[in-house]
Amino acid sequence: MKKIEAIIKPFKLDDVKEALNGIGIKGMTISEVKGYGRQKGHKEIYRGAEYIVDFIPKVKMEIIVDSSQVDDVIETIRQAANTGKIGDGKIFVLPVEEVIRVRTGEKGEEAI
Amino acid sequence: MAQAAIDPQDYNGLRARRQALDAYWQQEISGYALVRKHSDFIDHHLAESFKKSAPASEGFALVALGGYGRQELYPFSDIDLMILYDPAHKDELNSLVEAILYPLWDTGLEVGHAVRTPDECMAFATEDFFFRVSMLDARLIAGSVPLFAKLTEMYKTVYIEGKRQEFLDDMLIQRSKREIQYGRHTYLLEPHIKESCGGFRDIQSMIWTAHVVFGLKDLASLKEAGLLSQEELSDFEQAQDYLVRIRNRLHYVSGRKNDQLFFEHQEEMAEAFGFKNEQDMLAVEHFMRDVYGHMQTVSITTDLFFEHVSEVLGSDDSPKGAKELERGIEVRHGRIHLVNADFITSKPKFFMRLFYQAAKTGKPLHFRTRKTITANLHLVDDKLRSSRRTAKLFKAILVSPEPFRVLEEMLDTGFLAAYIPEFTKVESLAQHDVYHVFTVDRHLLQTIAELQKLQQEEPNINAVVRSPDILILAGLLHDVGKGYGHGHAERGADMARQIGERLGLEPDELETLDFLVRKHLFLSHTALRRDLEDEEFLMRCAADIHSPEWLAMLYLLTIADARATGPTVWNEWKGALLLELYLKIALLLDRDDLSEQEQAQSAELGVKWICEKVTGLLPADDTTNFNLFSDDYLLSFPPEVIVEHISQAKKLESQEVLFFHEQSQESWSIFVMTKDRPGLLARIFGVLALHNLNVLAARIFTWADGTAVDTIEVSSAISEDYAGQDWEAMENELHLAIQQRLGLEYRLSRKLAPLRNKPQGVKQRLAAKVAIDNQASEQYSVIEVFSKDRIGILYDITKTLSDFGISIYRARIGSKADQVVDVFYVLDHDGRKIEDPEFKNELQQGLLYAVSQA
Repeated sequence: MKKIEAIIKPFKLDDVKEALNGIGIKGMTISEVKGYGRQKGHKEIYRGAEYIVDFIPKVKMEIIVDSSQVDDVIETIRQAANTGKIGDGKIFVLPVEEVIRVRTGEKGEEAI
Repeated sequence: MAQAAIDPQDYNGLRARRQALDAYWQQEISGYALVRKHSDFIDHHLAESFKKSAPASEGFALVALGGYGRQELYPFSDIDLMILYDPAHKDELNSLVEAILYPLWDTGLEVGHAVRTPDECMAFATEDFFFRVSMLDARLIAGSVPLFAKLTEMYKTVYIEGKRQEFLDDMLIQRSKREIQYGRHTYLLEPHIKESCGGFRDIQSMIWTAHVVFGLKDLASLKEAGLLSQEELSDFEQAQDYLVRIRNRLHYVSGRKNDQLFFEHQEEMAEAFGFKNEQDMLAVEHFMRDVYGHMQTVSITTDLFFEHVSEVLGSDDSPKGAKELERGIEVRHGRIHLVNADFITSKPKFFMRLFYQAAKTGKPLHFRTRKTITANLHLVDDKLRSSRRTAKLFKAILVSPEPFRVLEEMLDTGFLAAYIPEFTKVESLAQHDVYHVFTVDRHLLQTIAELQKLQQEEPNINAVVRSPDILILAGLLHDVGKGYGHGHAERGADMARQIGERLGLEPDELETLDFLVRKHLFLSHTALRRDLEDEEFLMRCAADIHSPEWLAMLYLLTIADARATGPTVWNEWKGALLLELYLKIALLLDRDDLSEQEQAQSAELGVKWICEKVTGLLPADDTTNFNLFSDDYLLSFPPEVIVEHISQAKKLESQEVLFFHEQSQESWSIFVMTKDRPGLLARIFGVLALHNLNVLAARIFTWADGTAVDTIEVSSAISEDYAGQDWEAMENELHLAIQQRLGLEYRLSRKLAPLRNKPQGVKQRLAAKVAIDNQASEQYSVIEVFSKDRIGILYDITKTLSDFGISIYRARIGSKADQVVDVFYVLDHDGRKIEDPEFKNELQQGLLYAVSQA
């Protein structure tokens, strides 16, 4: 089992969710996150006032999948989240040792 | 059913308590009757235990306190019990305590117990406010009457007589503590039936205070004493009864002592109270509306009561120190009074005048004046609602320093809904989701409070707003279309327009109000769901919103609306997205502020100014002919850069190609200067692709003498290391390519082969678009190419153009979202526009093919 973490542009969330649903991935955890990276925040001057946002709003998706699905999921996210421009995001794949469903105590694949 | 026939009193012992309660439920005993029966049941049991185990009953008294003392015992309430004893009988105490408490504990009942002598009680009461208050409800269950009487006598002498002011002060402190802990509002998402504003605590506080201060023991005597009107009393009793039923059911549904109406219980409760889902409103929303409505009644009634008591004890209601504000209205001890209640009956204009004075002076209305308003709402008629004078006052209130406070008084007295009947539907209207913390009416007021705050926080943006009254009005009305099903923004806009017409707004004000209400969700939806780098989309937004003032108003309304919805809706993250969207549209609108004519004029002035500047920067003996340069070219660069171009161009006499590169803040900048020749651009773009450089933007110009001046912004597709890029090799290849000594085609196909393993031809072709326009420019045909971005695409486009013998005189390369949008100003090989339809079509197909190749 793997955990796939994807950091994407907020407006791409619906597209990516839909694409993932399309390949049978229904469960995921989504959070609003702040990016402080190469793509810096911005400073804008409008009518004499300075507006500074020192982070870039991003969405983080976390999905636990069976190892056999990893490539599919990565490719689906990559395609759906791609705009070809800077700041499209990143995808991380992490090993998962165990999954336990709290309600039933099921383990492993059953619990995904 | 056999069970139903059994008298619950027949169950023996406490273990039967649950069965007894179930039996009551089945007999459909609820509300006060149930809590009373439950209390009786416990009484009965305790009296039995006491009788069996108290050998010297004159030395002991079993006392119920708090809710149990009032004979209001909810299914899982604590049983507040006190064993009062005469110190002379201390020896027998242990066995009695065991006999009373052990069975209670054994059955798992929550028992709050204390064992005290009357003197200990008095000492403890000094320390503990809650005990002092719970003693007000003390009730003898069993045991010595004289002992109990001794305690109550002592208590009365020490804590009631002559302590009215202290009692009230303590009560008010506790009230404000609760307000801080549970919120000032009755309409939080999950109201606490006991502690929230408008809950049981408020009811009890009022009754306790009436008891201590006026010696009034129940609600009926409050009415007789003139503290409540008949109408207030019956509303209050109805609310109280409703809350009792809710609390009973809530204990039952939760299976524990729980007085908070949690979100997950609300649907089940609604069903239990007999509500059904309807098309426009869920059962649970009906139910919660009732709950909020009743809690609101309790809250308003008790507020008015406490103001009254404070005034009576302060004994400071003398007309002395009164100051007349206008005929019939005066301010006395910091509160606005209507001098005579009859005034409002004869002259309904007084309604709005009172609120106007409250806004103007920043002082609240006196509670009696508020009661007068509420009692006379039937006088608010169509005539008053369409009165221009009244509307003028209302608008003045909206732009006063604290519109929120005054509008809240309007809502609480019922005047707001009387004056704007459209408001009735959203009063106490709950929205059953986890985002909306407030009922709709409170949310609307909260929006006003947030707009008020934004005036301080965003002075610059507010400065753009020329009609703040319309913004506040939009805040007040933006959700007025709720409660009728879907499409509340559109419906609300229509309603707001009607309201605005009644208020006598000018046509342009009506337009603004309609726009703000109709579009109040637009920015927040867009900020989250659209690519904020999509220039074309932003342009459309700018065109739709069309005025910087409307945009500023909409932005402020959007923030206020989100903040007023609940803590989960607004955060820094969303704020950042919304700010980005706002600024992008604002900057576009600022640019478009100028009319087309003004733009043309300013362009002409700009060209003149630049020519002067450039002349000033050039050496005095320079003979450059400015006719070489198009206006477009001159406006595209700062004067210093043009001077640089001119001086570099002199080197072209000895050098065929000039190539420079530099690192700028966001990208790498490449500059190429050479004599123009067919296919030049294709060769440059080809070399860039060979070196993995993406073209972000390009400014391509040809001077009238045939000098090509190309400035290209690029980024590397593989590395961010500017110094690591092999610029030397690139310059060499550029020279070779321009001299037609480099096999660009085959090198590129070899390089890009690995990237082209996915045939996407059809999909690509669908996304691509080529437009050839002969109207846009007087001199040139303008070719626009839209397609998916990929490495080498510009080479393919420009190569195709060159194959058709087309010369590119100017180009604008740019990307929108994941699309490239390239604009070429071209002429055919004879130096004419591309007019022939057949050739036009052929060229179009050729370009489409070029961009669709993957």
